[in-house]
Amino acid sequence: MTFPRLQARTLAVLVVVLPLLALFVYVGARSGPLAPVKVTVSTVESRSITPAVFGIGTVQARYTYRIGATVPGRIATLNADVGDRVSAGQLLGELDGVDLDERLAALQAGVKSSQANLRKAETSRDFARAQVRRYDALLQIQSTSEEVAALKRQELAVAEAVLVAAKEDTLRLQAEREALQAQRNHLRLLAPAAGLVVARHFDPGTTVLAGQAVVEIIDPASLWVHTRFDQVSAEGLAAGLPAEIVLRSAPGSLLNGRVLRIEPLADEITEELLAKVAFTTLPPALPPVGELAEVTVQLAALPATPVISNAAVRSYKGQRGVWKYQAGGLEFVSLQLGRSDLQGHVQVLQGLAAGDQVVLYSEKVLSAGTRIDITDQLTGQQP
Amino acid sequence: MAKGIHIEGLSKRYGSGDTAFLALKDVNMRVEPGEVVGLIGPSGSGKSTLLKCLGAVIDPTAGRMTLGDDVIFDNGWKVRDLRALRRDKIGFVFQAPYLIPFLDVTDNVALLPMLAGMPDAQARARALELLTALDVQHRAKAMPSQLSGGEQQRVAIARGLVNRPPVILADEPTAPLDSVRAMAVIRILNEMAKRFETAVIVVTHDEKIIPTFQRIYHIRDGVTHEEAGEGRALSPP
Amino acid sequence: MISLAGRDILHSWGKFIFTGIGLGLLIGVTLTMAGVYRGMVDDGKVLLDNSGADLWVVQQDTLGPYAESSGIPDTLWRSVRIMPGVADAVNVTYLTMQVRQAERDVRAMVVGVHAGGPGIPGWPPYLLAGRQITRGHYEAVADIATGFTLGDEITIRRHRYQVVGLTRRMVSSGGDPMVFIPLKDAQEAQFLKDNDAILRQRRSTAANPQFNRPAVPGLLEAVTASQTHNPSVNAVLVRLLPGVSAHDVAEPIRRWKHLTVYDRPQMEAILIGKLIATSSRQIGMFLVILALVSAAIVAFIIYTLTMDKIREIAVLKLIGTRNRTIAGMILQQAMVLGLIGFVVGKISATFAAPMFPKYVLLLPIDSMLGFLAVMVICVLASVVAIRMALNVDPAEAIGG
Repeated sequence: MTFPRLQARTLAVLVVVLPLLALFVYVGARSGPLAPVKVTVSTVESRSITPAVFGIGTVQARYTYRIGATVPGRIATLNADVGDRVSAGQLLGELDGVDLDERLAALQAGVKSSQANLRKAETSRDFARAQVRRYDALLQIQSTSEEVAALKRQELAVAEAVLVAAKEDTLRLQAEREALQAQRNHLRLLAPAAGLVVARHFDPGTTVLAGQAVVEIIDPASLWVHTRFDQVSAEGLAAGLPAEIVLRSAPGSLLNGRVLRIEPLADEITEELLAKVAFTTLPPALPPVGELAEVTVQLAALPATPVISNAAVRSYKGQRGVWKYQAGGLEFVSLQLGRSDLQGHVQVLQGLAAGDQVVLYSEKVLSAGTRIDITDQLTGQQP
Repeated sequence: MAKGIHIEGLSKRYGSGDTAFLALKDVNMRVEPGEVVGLIGPSGSGKSTLLKCLGAVIDPTAGRMTLGDDVIFDNGWKVRDLRALRRDKIGFVFQAPYLIPFLDVTDNVALLPMLAGMPDAQARARALELLTALDVQHRAKAMPSQLSGGEQQRVAIARGLVNRPPVILADEPTAPLDSVRAMAVIRILNEMAKRFETAVIVVTHDEKIIPTFQRIYHIRDGVTHEEAGEGRALSPP
Repeated sequence: MISLAGRDILHSWGKFIFTGIGLGLLIGVTLTMAGVYRGMVDDGKVLLDNSGADLWVVQQDTLGPYAESSGIPDTLWRSVRIMPGVADAVNVTYLTMQVRQAERDVRAMVVGVHAGGPGIPGWPPYLLAGRQITRGHYEAVADIATGFTLGDEITIRRHRYQVVGLTRRMVSSGGDPMVFIPLKDAQEAQFLKDNDAILRQRRSTAANPQFNRPAVPGLLEAVTASQTHNPSVNAVLVRLLPGVSAHDVAEPIRRWKHLTVYDRPQMEAILIGKLIATSSRQIGMFLVILALVSAAIVAFIIYTLTMDKIREIAVLKLIGTRNRTIAGMILQQAMVLGLIGFVVGKISATFAAPMFPKYVLLLPIDSMLGFLAVMVICVLASVVAIRMALNVDPAEAIGG
């Protein structure tokens, strides 16, 4: 035997070769398709979940007043600016009436002159009436002729007719004046309700068409969030439910709201339900209209059922279910899933019982024959 | 029963036609078992050619060689396997020991019987026996590089002897050694020749050892001349 | 009989090990190269696997959502869904873009997944951590290769998303990691470039008198609104009912809906045959070169080792060693060298593979083939040395 002589060298060779071989065997067994797949398992718990519905929307005002002229015209003055709060009936601006004021003055003068005419006619009638009365008395005592008395009666009739004409003329002129005044008033832009000026589309001097809005006013108390919910996940959404609103500009602060109504019309193109969510109390700084908001509607808590994480849900051979872990290995169980909440918990209606172990995370797609290696976690960070 | 090596009329021609050169013309040698003869001659005299012919590594052109009882060459090789012939019938000892560096001393010696098909244990036992005879058994497990020159040469001699060949060819075995060691080597060769009944041919031009031979073959221009040597007695170690 | 090769190797084992390690690193590179190719093929396959689809419905005459851009209306899935044999049909969008996280920019394939929960086509089929998307907006599941962690805020175009789940091996055919976001966000992301682009578009629309007509109030707003809405998706992923042939479902869709439909083998042909054909030829060239270099190196090493022993070989021959024994010795040494090289190569390739930015898949079959190739190369490489050894004249051992 030559072994003892070679001992030192043999030892040295072994020191190099054995680790190499050990590494090789390790490499062969632990990598490649033969290696076991690392998974984590979790236990099915029976618990209650509180489903919630998540949607996004934009802040809108329930009442928006778009104030403009009913006739074309040039803007003469505009006193309201964006951000101004206005009260009901407040004059916001005026359109240039061109000769409207002059025509109004002329009519005013006309009315005055017709009123003078009226008074004149009244005076004539009163005089004519007095004459008739006098001549009637004179005729009684036969101190005047029948003819003269008849003449006086005829004069009275004429005076009365003149008076009627003067009255009508005055009324006509007054009506005309009022019509012009009304037209004049239409050139005045008045706030129909108290609110906030949110837009001022034109400046004085601009000619606007009939129907174009010059100023937009909203009622800040009427702000709500026009929210869109995905139809697939909107189960249980109803009016009156409490909602949490997070504005894009303030992601940290939670505003309370309430579902005001679900719109009877859904958006068929985007497959979304539309709902209005009102603020319970408005934030002190009003959110700008059009700002994006995330709305979470909390639904009522559901009775306890077996619950798994949605990370455990897999699709295998066209069925949705989970990999159930038993001492023997893995078995795919197809499941009937119920509601879920936003934290990823899903109710299991059928297929699992509390206490069952299911594969939660895995490194690879699993199949029935996969060898597995159960570990605590797969990423080096706690889930 | 004739033993030893007999060479009659051996000739060797290199090349052919005009460039032909007759390196050995008419070589006659006879070495008996147990005898150590010297083969001396100047450079170019045909010493090496003769040694190569004897060693069966080149083909002689004509002549006759008898090794022990077997005619191995008679105007052509009479044995088919020259390798086996070299392995089993001829022992070589070279100028340098030429030990196999990756085998230890025992295996260097045991390699030949192993090549011949002897079981390892038996071959090693025989090697150890020879090493003991040559007084290097204490280095049996050493590697060649750990040995001194004399020890290496003794191992080389052991290797030459291990298959109990009828003849040993020693090519300048003492060249790298000082006179004391050279004499020791010659003494060993003489002892071994007697002990194993082997004919030993020592090719040399080492003046120190020439006087030790009983018989000397001079070779000059391809022709051998036999002379009586001084046969000086070897001093005990 | 003792093993001459074994003794020689034991004698100069350091030389052998170090030469073997050197050779091994070269073999490791070769194996890794093969792994890169396999990884590319696998990237394509997992892309198809992970989509969970049996059929891909895409724009007519395009090469599907992965190899070419495709746009189809986002309402089309409904008419596909009601075709006989269809179990599920969902919209999906794929777009490779930059995803920002804090100061970092990651190139990723953003996948828009149809609402409906895990298990439907297009969704990540498994997770490493976290959970699947539950909200219809602004949540993301990212491949771990993006470097994102749970809870990270990432920005895709104009919107911020929270990473709620991590997955693995979800890559595009180009190897970019995937980020899954809800479909509506993805549609928007695909269309909306950035705020500047939107403003420019609005301005150019406003400058167009066709759209900006004072006499038609609201027209400009309507046009602008229609410009910021993108009603198209890249493909409809179809899952079939069990036992239904893909062809039977695909044919009517092709014929009556004027769309292109691919089944799994066709999709693989597109991804592997067309998308990575050039790259694979490139890698094939590298493999050939590396094999040649390895062969040359083994041949050179064996040649040198034999040259060092030429004297011993002459002696061995002189003392009667058979050619077979000597050739065997050299051959065995070459093969041992190859074996050490292969072992080292396999180990180094396995440990190096995860460090590559793209997926490197080392298949056992490749290792086997690699081993055979190494052995064949070693045998061939030792031929030169064996020839030289056999040509050594035993007479050389006899000096002079």
